[in-house]
Amino acid sequence: MTTAIQIQGVSKVFSTDDGPLVAFGPADLDIQEGEFVSLLGPSGCGKSTLLMMLAGLEKPSSGQIFLNQTPVHSPRNDIGVMFQESTLVPWRTVLGNIELQLELRGERSENFREQIDSLLNSVSLKGMEQRMPHELSGGMQQRAALCQALIHQPQTLLLDEPLGKLDAMTRENIRGDLQRLWLDKKPTVVMVTHSIEEAVQMSTRVYLISPRPGKIDKVVDIEMDYPRNLAVKQDQRFIQYLADIHSVFHSYGVL
Amino acid sequence: MSEKALKRLVRWISESWMMFAFFACFFLLWEWSIDWFEVPKYILNKPSEIITNSAADLPRLMQYTYITGLETVLGFLVAISLAIPIGVAITFSNILRKTLYPFLVSVEMVPKIAFAPLFISWLGFGLLPKVIIVFLVCFFPIVLNAILAFGSLSQELDRFSQITGSSKIKIFLKIRIPFALPQCFVGIKYAAINATVGAAIAEFIGSDQGLGFYIQIVTGNMRPDLAFAGIFLLTLLGLGLFGIVTLVERLMIPWHISQRRG
Repeated sequence: MTTAIQIQGVSKVFSTDDGPLVAFGPADLDIQEGEFVSLLGPSGCGKSTLLMMLAGLEKPSSGQIFLNQTPVHSPRNDIGVMFQESTLVPWRTVLGNIELQLELRGERSENFREQIDSLLNSVSLKGMEQRMPHELSGGMQQRAALCQALIHQPQTLLLDEPLGKLDAMTRENIRGDLQRLWLDKKPTVVMVTHSIEEAVQMSTRVYLISPRPGKIDKVVDIEMDYPRNLAVKQDQRFIQYLADIHSVFHSYGVL
Repeated sequence: MSEKALKRLVRWISESWMMFAFFACFFLLWEWSIDWFEVPKYILNKPSEIITNSAADLPRLMQYTYITGLETVLGFLVAISLAIPIGVAITFSNILRKTLYPFLVSVEMVPKIAFAPLFISWLGFGLLPKVIIVFLVCFFPIVLNAILAFGSLSQELDRFSQITGSSKIKIFLKIRIPFALPQCFVGIKYAAINATVGAAIAEFIGSDQGLGFYIQIVTGNMRPDLAFAGIFLLTLLGLGLFGIVTLVERLMIPWHISQRRG
């Protein structure tokens, strides 16, 4: 396996009126190709900041990041990103929004008909192509956004709490979709989340981030087989992982 | 007429008949009170008299409506075609945002109509000074809303665009412009409402034709009936302009929340 993402001594410091504020780091970590990694921590711990630094959308105050063996200096286009807020534009249909990603990348959307079809199928949005975003439920919108983030078939996928705003049942559902898509194409995924359960269910490896300043404190390898569906939650190992991670956050005083 | 259209018409009538009834009562009351209070003809006329008397002066009224309309539309269009690019330039240029923007905000505080006598003394009684006054009235709401519109792209969409590695010009065309349109229309509609005000006042101050000129002259001649005809036509002009803008808005941003039908 080759290393997809290398983070070396990366930190983010914001200057405030009360002097510099360390938002994150310093941190070192390597992520292997095809892994599904979660950055798990309480809100405000800088995990989203780390993700944005991986994407090249924010500059680290110190340290270096390598993505697919090349250093990250500016926004990277060899990745797919799903943001906390929807990036569906209200003036385009579901299909038009997926095509927007292709058009902005200078691709001809006619060459992607099959990929679009199979993506929409895999997230049960078939027949919704011509709907406008506001006509969809929150869950359907995030499914469409997932298609938008994946249509150019990125080898690296960054997810910034993509399911954060959804109700519990819809989250459960889309987790399944996301896992299937990952197992199918095996891109490297880095997901930011504050749900312990979500992190354990989805990830090969979970990085626990301590609050203020955010530091990668513990690493938990989740050694369970995929696919991990609802039944996995009854599994004794699953329950043990949850309990272990719970106690770590309890010791931070977060839980 | 299809059944659906008929149903819509019936619903529209059932929802808005009270409004029409109120209008009718208003004019009936007006008509009746002129007789009841024995209001002299040089003060105020009955609506029925206004209609018949102004019909006699129709050719002149039509010609003046055309002239005022021309001033209004020209000033309005020039305002749009300058204000939007300037708004975009201010949004994307740090230097302009520190120089031109505060200047425009300060000038916005000046009542533009106060410039009207100056422009008339500089440029004479013709079309140009009126077009400039209308332009001044329309320009500021459009430019300030354009700055707001182009400067408020959400962080997510901005980041999404950057990740695609697309050129700035393509992002501008495919993301920034459609995103900005609804807020731009807020400014354009506000300008459309005020455009005829600018034209009428400019004509009051110095003119030999147009509806503003007409209203002033007939009022001097103790003919309130004809003045009301002029006011009515000015109102129609304003409504017409606003209606066209609303129509264009509906065609350009049918997806926006303000345009969705229940």
